[in-house]
Amino acid sequence: MPDNPPPVRVTLFAGMAEAAGRRSLELPWTGGTVADLRHRVAAAMPAIAPLLAQSAIALGNRYAKADESVAAGADVAIIPPVSGG
Amino acid sequence: MHSPAPVFHPGADEAVTLTRGPLDTAAVLAAVSDPAAGGNVLFVGTARSVTADITTSRLEYEAHEPLAHAMLAALLAEARRRFSLAGCAAAHRLGVVEPGEASVAVAASAPHRPAAFAATEWLMAEIKREVPIWKCEHRPDGSHTWVHSDPNTPPPETHHE
Repeated sequence: MPDNPPPVRVTLFAGMAEAAGRRSLELPWTGGTVADLRHRVAAAMPAIAPLLAQSAIALGNRYAKADESVAAGADVAIIPPVSGG
Repeated sequence: MHSPAPVFHPGADEAVTLTRGPLDTAAVLAAVSDPAAGGNVLFVGTARSVTADITTSRLEYEAHEPLAHAMLAALLAEARRRFSLAGCAAAHRLGVVEPGEASVAVAASAPHRPAAFAATEWLMAEIKREVPIWKCEHRPDGSHTWVHSDPNTPPPETHHE
């Protein structure tokens, strides 16, 4: 049995992945909300903070609200402003 | 008159496809064929080589694929309800798209054409507003820019029209 809860896995896309120089990271996580997660990601990667402020957060295959709880081991995606079409 | 064989993700409720190959726009239109429909509209967005005096040598698209697929399916279901459609379908290409090639296609069918036109326009606006797909503009000098327009300002229509 692991002593620590599993980390949250964060996936980055497009210009945000480019700015960060990586497409994913793992954050040690003992619980918190989507808003808490934003602060943790911004602290871990200051280069993406401006774009992060304009981004949505997805938990699994849906968009999440700021006050939603993020479970340990969750798959989180940062969704910067979109430009499909 | 007859329903075509399922061409997108057999088993899915809605006709959504994300593909790295060329878009089969005829198949997108065929997917909305319905004997109850008198108006069938297909919109095809193609990669444009010049935007605001900037030459683009090619486009590249990336997506959060499971979320994009789920959101496209939800938008089709909403369009079907909102415009009382007989059918609707959407396809988006990912990866490199050369100028003139199709990057997106949406189709809608309805008893009469106004609903089919309105539905395709609404679907395109929603796709550009909230589906997690991103475009990268590659220029002839080798530089590139991922497009992340501010959602709080009107979209600058960087791609179509």
